[in-house]
Amino acid sequence: MNTTKKLGPVDILAKFFKWFFLIFFLLFMILPLVWILISSFKTNLEFNIKSPFALPEVWQFSNYRNAFSISNLPRMFLHSIIVAIVTTALNLVVAAMSAFALSREKFRGNNLILTFLLSGVLIPIIALMVPIMKINNFLHLYDTLGALILTYTAINLPTSIFLVHGFMSTIPKELEESATIDGCSFLQRFTKIIFPLTKPGLVTAGTLVFIYCWNEFTYAMILTISEKARTIQLGIKYFQTEFSIDYTGMLAAIVITMLPTIIVYTFMHDKIISGMTAGAVKG
Amino acid sequence: MSRNLAERKFNRNWKGILLFLLPAFVLYGLFFIYPIFTVIFTSLTDWSNFRTMHFAGFKNYSNLFKNPTFLKAIRNNFIWAFVLAFVQVPIAMTMALVLARKPKGWKLFRTVYFLPTVISGSALAMMWKAVYNPTNGVLNAILGIFSANNGTNWLGDMNTALVAVIVQQVFYFGYFMVIIFASRLGIDDTMYEAAMIDGANVWQQEIHVTLPMLKPVLITAITLAMAYGFRHFESTYLLTGGGPNHVTETMGTFLYTKLSSAKWAEGNSIGTTIILLGGIMISVIRSVLSREK
Repeated sequence: MNTTKKLGPVDILAKFFKWFFLIFFLLFMILPLVWILISSFKTNLEFNIKSPFALPEVWQFSNYRNAFSISNLPRMFLHSIIVAIVTTALNLVVAAMSAFALSREKFRGNNLILTFLLSGVLIPIIALMVPIMKINNFLHLYDTLGALILTYTAINLPTSIFLVHGFMSTIPKELEESATIDGCSFLQRFTKIIFPLTKPGLVTAGTLVFIYCWNEFTYAMILTISEKARTIQLGIKYFQTEFSIDYTGMLAAIVITMLPTIIVYTFMHDKIISGMTAGAVKG
Repeated sequence: MSRNLAERKFNRNWKGILLFLLPAFVLYGLFFIYPIFTVIFTSLTDWSNFRTMHFAGFKNYSNLFKNPTFLKAIRNNFIWAFVLAFVQVPIAMTMALVLARKPKGWKLFRTVYFLPTVISGSALAMMWKAVYNPTNGVLNAILGIFSANNGTNWLGDMNTALVAVIVQQVFYFGYFMVIIFASRLGIDDTMYEAAMIDGANVWQQEIHVTLPMLKPVLITAITLAMAYGFRHFESTYLLTGGGPNHVTETMGTFLYTKLSSAKWAEGNSIGTTIILLGGIMISVIRSVLSREK
């Protein structure tokens, strides 16, 4: 802190507590992850008998091979990737279209519609379990990837519209005006001018949607019944029965489900953090 | 000529605007508007898989509020909401203020504190299930170092289950921390310089400069925390399923058991309670907080 002043006992104590908590929370976030990572390389015997702090005697990479073969992990992985990619694309197109209509065109009721669209974040989605399941039944989507794609697209619209609309509003109007004079239509202004310029906003929103889809559990459970549409997060629920005799294999499977977002986060943490920060400010 | 062009553009745009808003409106209609109305109206019926729908008045609600399990669930949702709002948010704020002074490695701390936010809640829940495991979990092993390992079955014991489920969540404060942190960095440095010239030490600066400036973001964070508390479902469902003996039950897990047994109307009466109770609590807290200080 301030080095020019002399440090009183209170300051020294404060400094101690500051570093104590900084490190305590760092360990709280990291150590359980490290522990299951290390444990996922042990044999079941080692895991049950030896100290939880010990390193594996032989690193059992076979646990990871088993994880893939026992639980149909590759298929669930594929489902999760399909759902995440298609949802992200669909969500961004829908969000960008409405954001374009609302941010580039000023008309009566403009703000009212925007407020209405953004207020979607206030709805506790968990309370809508029954009707959302019924709607997917009605659309003949129940137990298909389509159910997850459509539902996730809708659930993520308020946040995406907020982020994309905020970004689009900063693009100068003059660009479009000259394009209109050059004969650009409404649609062309969107596809040729505004959509490409909104790319950074779309990347932020898209990253958040992708992570949401990858991690979503509750509606994946409600909207699917069979392996036909089971995503990886839902698979976790069944690991306990599938791996009933292979606990460390289950830990390996859990590590595998965590890895994709951790990898994405490693490379894009600044963007993700700033995107999530912006998404919250609307309150 | 130019007016003509403007008029043509105006007319053409209406079609475009409507067309561009249509997909969002359809999705909102299907997944927000229609569900909310269904939840509220069918909660007044006896709709289930076994009978056709009849109006039943407030029967579902009177049954619900006589059910000790549901009352336990409501109590637990209040505990969740208040712990998140008044334990997690203050921790998040404290750490945000510490990091805003840019101690050595602050970027690493920030990135790591936020990490759990991007990992799936279900995977984290399974990880904590392993940590809490009474025989080979790492928690009892750590307690063993201090010879305090009583072989506690953290998630299976009625006395510890709720605390265990809450603790694994409450220290994952990274989301609120980055919101508050961003707002803290938005405060002009000159305000701190002025305070320093006036002889304010670090503590006084935080109390008299930072806290008043952070009030809006703190209200946002507390509101969100409250909302999460009333929506809580996932980690409880995976860690304990609401047990043992319903001590960790929340409205969400209770709603899910109704859904699993195809009691749609009863489920929707819980859904309505979640919407109303959450909405009321949030507006009460917001009005209290924005009046004070």
